[in-house]
Amino acid sequence: MIKKFIHQFASPKTYLFQVNRFYSFIFYFSLVIYIFSITWGLLLTPEDFVQGNSFRIIYLHVPASFLSQSLYLAMGIASIVYLVWRVKLAAYLIIAIAPIGAMTTFIALISGSIWGIPTWGTWWQWDARITSTLILFIMYLGLISLHNSFSNHEKADKLLSWLVIVGAVNIPIIKKSVDWWSTLHQSASITLTEKPSIDPSMLYPLIGSIIGFFGLIICLVLISSKHQILIREKTKSWIKDYV
Amino acid sequence: MFSFAFNSFEEAIYMNGHGIYVWIVFAIVFLCLTAFFVSYKKKIQRIKDKLNESD
Repeated sequence: MIKKFIHQFASPKTYLFQVNRFYSFIFYFSLVIYIFSITWGLLLTPEDFVQGNSFRIIYLHVPASFLSQSLYLAMGIASIVYLVWRVKLAAYLIIAIAPIGAMTTFIALISGSIWGIPTWGTWWQWDARITSTLILFIMYLGLISLHNSFSNHEKADKLLSWLVIVGAVNIPIIKKSVDWWSTLHQSASITLTEKPSIDPSMLYPLIGSIIGFFGLIICLVLISSKHQILIREKTKSWIKDYV
Repeated sequence: MFSFAFNSFEEAIYMNGHGIYVWIVFAIVFLCLTAFFVSYKKKIQRIKDKLNESD
């Protein structure tokens, strides 16, 4: 039943038409939320007692960091779907997500480094959180390079899926690194199980910036996957009708 | 909650010496997002043009 459901709703053709239907709404909705939250965070929230104004980087750093891990998890789920049910769209999604994951991880690393200069007095420290995030960035780049080096797409998809699943072990390490080891990086300010340790005047714009950034990244994944479908399905007759 | 945290525009840019860090990160995020959106839009348009030419 699951197989039938997936094959019915995950055909590249159906997906492409659904993307066109929802893309504009998601894009403009997320853009408005993101601009509003970033303006609120950068210009309207009060200065932090300890970190001063440098704490405002949180509104740019945390959404990128959250998405860098979430996108890898999405790739992991797509890999399982591809390997178990042989859904082509899942394979297209893996390679469509990888460059965007690399970009969000790059933003997380750079923003964290810049934030470290005024708060820690250093832009880099080989501690568990930062090093595991750097490994995630290298993994994204490696997966993209590996996929591009294959001329046989099907072989590349299969190998990539297995590597993504193996590499997923790094995600809980990144997440738990601040609890398992003594690190320079602070522990999470927002968790699902505990009350946030951050003041509401700073928390609300942070939640808004995460939602807005998440929406914009979803839009990037949608157009990136559209690009993959157009490349991989260009010989199909329905593509000519679509274009 | 929605009052301006700074006394002037210059103060908002300077942020007591932290403005340079905050605005550089802001510029990086803005550039990365814009570059990715523009590049994918262009790539899709190029493929569509190619497919139309081949018809």
